[in-house]
Amino acid sequence: MPEYKGLKIPARATDEEMRKIHIEPVPDEQKVDKAIQYLDEIRKKFRSFVLAMESCVKCGACAENCHTYLGTRDPNNIPTMRAELMRKIYRRYFTPEGRWFGKLVGAQDLDLDTIMQWYSYFYQCNECRRCGHVCPFGIDTCEVTMIGRQILHWLGIVPKLHASVGASMERTGNHTGLTKAAIVDTLEFLSEEIRDEFGVEVTFPVDKEGADILYVPSSADFLLNPYTLMGAGMFFTYIGANWTISSHMTEAGNFGLLFDQQHTMRHLFTRLLHTAQQLGVKKIVWGECGHGWRAWKMYLKGMADLPLRWEITHIHNEVAYYIETNQLKLDPYKIGRPVTLHDPCNYVRACNLAETLRKVIRACVADFREMYPNREDNFCCGGGSAILFDDPEMYQLRIKFSAKKAEQVRATGVGKDGNGILCAPCSICKAQLYPMVEEHELGVEVKGLIDLVGMALVWR
Amino acid sequence: MAYFIGQILPYITVTVFVLGVLWRLWRWAAARIVHDITLSPFPQTKGEVLGIYLREIILFRNLFKFDLPLWVGAWPMHMALFGVLGGHVVGIYFLGKQFVYLGASEELSKHLSELLGTVMGTIFLAGLLYLLYRRAAIDRVRQVSNPSDYLMILLLIAIVSVGDFMRFFPAYGIEYEPVREWFYTLATFQPAAIPDNPFFILHILLVQVLIMIFPFSKLMHLFGMFGMRWIVNRVQREPAPGLPNVDVAAARAKGIGLPQAGAGDAA
Ligand code: HEM
Ligand code: SF4
Ligand code: SF4
Ligand code: SF4
Repeated sequence: MPEYKGLKIPARATDEEMRKIHIEPVPDEQKVDKAIQYLDEIRKKFRSFVLAMESCVKCGACAENCHTYLGTRDPNNIPTMRAELMRKIYRRYFTPEGRWFGKLVGAQDLDLDTIMQWYSYFYQCNECRRCGHVCPFGIDTCEVTMIGRQILHWLGIVPKLHASVGASMERTGNHTGLTKAAIVDTLEFLSEEIRDEFGVEVTFPVDKEGADILYVPSSADFLLNPYTLMGAGMFFTYIGANWTISSHMTEAGNFGLLFDQQHTMRHLFTRLLHTAQQLGVKKIVWGECGHGWRAWKMYLKGMADLPLRWEITHIHNEVAYYIETNQLKLDPYKIGRPVTLHDPCNYVRACNLAETLRKVIRACVADFREMYPNREDNFCCGGGSAILFDDPEMYQLRIKFSAKKAEQVRATGVGKDGNGILCAPCSICKAQLYPMVEEHELGVEVKGLIDLVGMALVWR
Repeated sequence: MAYFIGQILPYITVTVFVLGVLWRLWRWAAARIVHDITLSPFPQTKGEVLGIYLREIILFRNLFKFDLPLWVGAWPMHMALFGVLGGHVVGIYFLGKQFVYLGASEELSKHLSELLGTVMGTIFLAGLLYLLYRRAAIDRVRQVSNPSDYLMILLLIAIVSVGDFMRFFPAYGIEYEPVREWFYTLATFQPAAIPDNPFFILHILLVQVLIMIFPFSKLMHLFGMFGMRWIVNRVQREPAPGLPNVDVAAARAKGIGLPQAGAGDAA
């Protein structure tokens, strides 16, 4: 079990694995100097970070609003304390008050232990931004987490999970390492499933040149969330779209956002633009993935090296549009089970999707119950930023991080008879919640939103 | 000593404050907004953005919504602070006769001015004591505090206490006139001796300490809040939905996807 002086830490990528994602790990005796150098470079670039470092008043309002603190009561999981792990170093090296009055203002020299604290606590943050949402000034501790992880990455300290996904992104263009053969196979299998279960004929065109629409699903849908892919296939077929899925770029997520917002994130960005050009599509439609949608919607425009010639919309926006214009026939009584909605943080706090989700879900299910708080006030599921670690100690943390969510779901009563549905339209939420609804015995099944659309469509 | 506090230090204070704040602001401005981290729901107009700024500055709405017990102390404290600041400027400039312009007699105006000052000063002090208590008594707030966080409140408490003391015990207090005179000499760079009242001198000394540490302390939140909100609250519009070459009615008429229509692929 990975452990460092009592800190909970996820299993680390080996030096060999780091080299696969183009990082030469920094030797221990140089780590401190390098970290300070990287921090200096970054603080000169990111205003959001500098402001988080310099204008917090330590009011503590963020504490009770972070589910990781609520679940663990570990003071370092209070958002401002998480940021303080970085701030005390920042103060020491980059502010006059920290240089001259160290202890008084809470400044501290950097050492290896602190770097390992970064590793522990920046990977206990879900990057859900609830702290930024509630802070009276809008200070976004997520920005500090992201920069902390970036520096750790450059030092060669990355969880095995994230590093292996990074390597697979470059190798295959998706997180799970799907090859074209596997993609085509799975999609053919899903066509059969749809025929058997829904009695309709849906084919999934792969790499179809001249398609109008490129649909980019989450690669996890191929393995874990087949109903989300099936729902999307049924939707595009129903509206008679000329669409395709690319085997070169089969990833709605972008782990770059979560540990390396430079090289790794940009790699996938570039890949998408190349693919869209090659296939000659007119519009790109995004699949269900919270952090991924944030990366593509909010980050791509500032990072693309090529002119952006395509509009990118989320499939929920498109479905909502066809519902609003009365072009989709949906029968909300087909799904005769109580449903509640978990608002993925990245959708509702970073991407403006809250009302869209509701338009769609209300059209698809008859018994929809809100959980509280909801929309942009919602709590994260505890899986955010892919801290989906399986090592036993980290897994225990995941259970604690999801405690608040479990409490919310229970309060809706949808799981009372054991047949509830917890709609969680984000790949990472799903990956977190599949085991968590069992751990907390919630009596619900986890589904995506497009899953429900597929189920509710009326074909005749 | 009184000579230093009253005739030299004020110039040092103002210089440190202005240069310090400018330096900090420059550091912020030199860093860029690298990524779009607008918080949703996205404001659709500049008016909505302004609305968010105002509701946070005037009402501290986020605190009200997410940490009411903190709001109960923080909001009155800040409102009293703004009141006191404004009151100092107006009261000293008009020698307490500002309400004459609203139709009050000179006598009444002075009374009103004093009453308002006393009330504000009292709320201010009560708010600060509450915040100090909170910082020391609530685990999670104590855990996040550095020594400087306590010192800041203590310094403010000291300033306000001396001020309130002069109000409540006018025998030890000071009139508006000599204060205005003294400010006037300072502003014209011909500093006269500070009015000879130990409480007033102490008050002025502490205020100058506060102003000097301002740029190097968390008091920069006064500007930081604007800087941060400028990043996270901005107008964002959504791209238009609707897919190219899609005709749902035609697709449904053709029965695309239904078994008898053959393969479900659209042309
Ligand atoms: C636009 C102007 C301002 C706004 C919107 C604002 C807002 C806030 C907010 C929301 C807090 C956190 C809640 C709290 O702990 O009280 C706070 C704390 C604080 N503010 Fe301000 N503030 C402003 C100006 C000032 C000024 C000019 C001062 C200076 C004298 C000041 C002194 C403080 C102090 C000392 C605290 C910390 C209180 C504590 O330790 O609990 N504020 N401010
Ligand atoms: S709510 Fe904002 S200002 Fe208050 S402690 Fe948290 S980050 Fe700092
Ligand atoms: S981003 Fe979420 S998990 Fe991270 S500190 Fe903020 S509230 Fe907590
Ligand atoms: S995993 Fe889901 S709930 Fe959690 S941060 Fe991502 S979008 Fe939020």
